[in-house]
Amino acid sequence: MKTASKLSLLTLLSFFFISLSAKGYKIGDTATDFSLKNVDDSMVSLADYKDAKGFIVVFTCNECPYAKAYENRLIAIDQKYKDKGYPVIAINSNDPKASSSDKFELMKKKHADKQFTFPYLVDAGQEIYPQYGATKTPHVFILNKENKELIVRYIGTIDNNYKDANDVSEKYVEDAVEALLNKKPVPTSVTVAIGCGIKVK
Amino acid sequence: MHKHLIICWLSGLILTVNAQENQSYSSFKEVIQYEALDKIIDKNDDVLYVVNFWATWCGPCVKELPDFMEVNNQLSDKKDFKMILISLDDKNDLSPGLLSFLDNNHITADVYLLDDVKRMNQWMPKVDQSWTGSIPATAFYKNGEKLKFVEEQLHKTELIEIINQYLK
Repeated sequence: MKTASKLSLLTLLSFFFISLSAKGYKIGDTATDFSLKNVDDSMVSLADYKDAKGFIVVFTCNECPYAKAYENRLIAIDQKYKDKGYPVIAINSNDPKASSSDKFELMKKKHADKQFTFPYLVDAGQEIYPQYGATKTPHVFILNKENKELIVRYIGTIDNNYKDANDVSEKYVEDAVEALLNKKPVPTSVTVAIGCGIKVK
Repeated sequence: MHKHLIICWLSGLILTVNAQENQSYSSFKEVIQYEALDKIIDKNDDVLYVVNFWATWCGPCVKELPDFMEVNNQLSDKKDFKMILISLDDKNDLSPGLLSFLDNNHITADVYLLDDVKRMNQWMPKVDQSWTGSIPATAFYKNGEKLKFVEEQLHKTELIEIINQYLK
């Protein structure tokens, strides 16, 4: 009886740790680089951006209403911060078999139609989003170059009103990048918001 | 004082909408903000509340709903069980969007539309600290205490298993 309860406690504990480790990055963690195919068929790595001070990595997709609501705002953020050293890097992690609207050709079309100013990469093996711990679209991870490492400094949503860009009172991503540019701590480093779950095979 | 006035005005508005719509759509209750949801759940009545967060545009949410309805219908005579669906659809899509969806899909659980967009970062951690924002998500409450939170699609057997764990 005692052994049984000990065993079940062990099982419970191991589940706890497995679920913890499956959560992905936390603030302060070092992010690993990747090599993913862009919509122009070139391969993109963060290491390609020699002059970048960091990155605004956003997991997004073609048709999620929340992702679509933020398309124009992402372009504006990229245009505002790319030249200051923090470009937007968009990654689509949805499996195209589970979500036909996210096929590579349709990603190309989205990029062209919306005139994205940033790369739109396909996480073909679905290996990158679990490393980051992205669960939904859009899901933002701001990385900051510190001693040649990419340190996670912000995880969350773009701002506090997906519905109406004109009625936003908290610009979480912009505030985080501004803080990093001014070498100050990020005021709000983790935020949550509803999004569309990343579609798995 | 100001806040109270707004709440009064809102509930008046909600009641009006509700009265108009309730004739044909019995499962839809009202448009709410988080405080109202808190009150719906936080009851000392020994009832197991299964609270599902979903939206009509969310594929996996819509996929799990038939399983949820089957379970809800099976347990409909149990006084210590109640299923509540919290729609995160845009308020502008309430009618006909959400309402006709409820009707077409024979939704029997109580449905509320949570219209609290700007404060997501406040109310979501209150529902569960671990919630990253993906839906469907389902929370289980009894006597104001959260027993379990699941941030993924639940199949019928898993749902029944969890309910049996907490239902006497």
